[in-house]
Amino acid sequence: MKTRFLFPYWCRYLGYACILGHIPVVLFHKMMDYPKPSDGPELFNAHHLFFMATTLLMLVGLIIVAFSKEKIEDEQISQLRLDSLQWAVYLNYIILVISLIFTHNQDFWDIIHVNMWVPLVFFIIRFRWVIFRLNRSLTREG
Amino acid sequence: MIMKNNIRVERAIKNITQADLAEAVGVSRQTINTIESNKYVPSTVLALKISRVFGKPLEEVFMLEEGD
Repeated sequence: MKTRFLFPYWCRYLGYACILGHIPVVLFHKMMDYPKPSDGPELFNAHHLFFMATTLLMLVGLIIVAFSKEKIEDEQISQLRLDSLQWAVYLNYIILVISLIFTHNQDFWDIIHVNMWVPLVFFIIRFRWVIFRLNRSLTREG
Repeated sequence: MIMKNNIRVERAIKNITQADLAEAVGVSRQTINTIESNKYVPSTVLALKISRVFGKPLEEVFMLEEGD
């Protein structure tokens, strides 16, 4: 089956590597507790660059994991992917609306932060779960 | 209306496994399994491919049935 806009299968492991790689780096940085620079330029200072690099690493990892092909990519997989995507968008907007209602506009930064990874993470979890269930039904029936 | 199919019977006649059929039409075994148990409705292309493997017209492999 021809699919467009999907990464090859092996890219998924690259994606997991990006996500897992970003965690210790961020934890280490948090533990060192670098003070935020008070002077210097607002943009592209060391703090900003570090934040950008780690966040991009995580985002790229999530996107690659979410949108890489399955081993056997067929029409049912496409449908499950579409389904999961719909769920993820629903959940994302529910969270977005709730947080817009219950937060003051100064917390907007946090909302965007959550908004950044919720759809992808939920999509990945949901998609993996339905594929797991599909495989389980196969082994059960033999 | 729901769609039923005779894939399990046709497979038995031809003596091929789900995996063989899956490979012949280029899908996963899971997909053949869910089609057989009427959990997934295949696209027209896939249905045509499956009936071609059995050498039968589409209507003899897939049929509509009254139901919810």
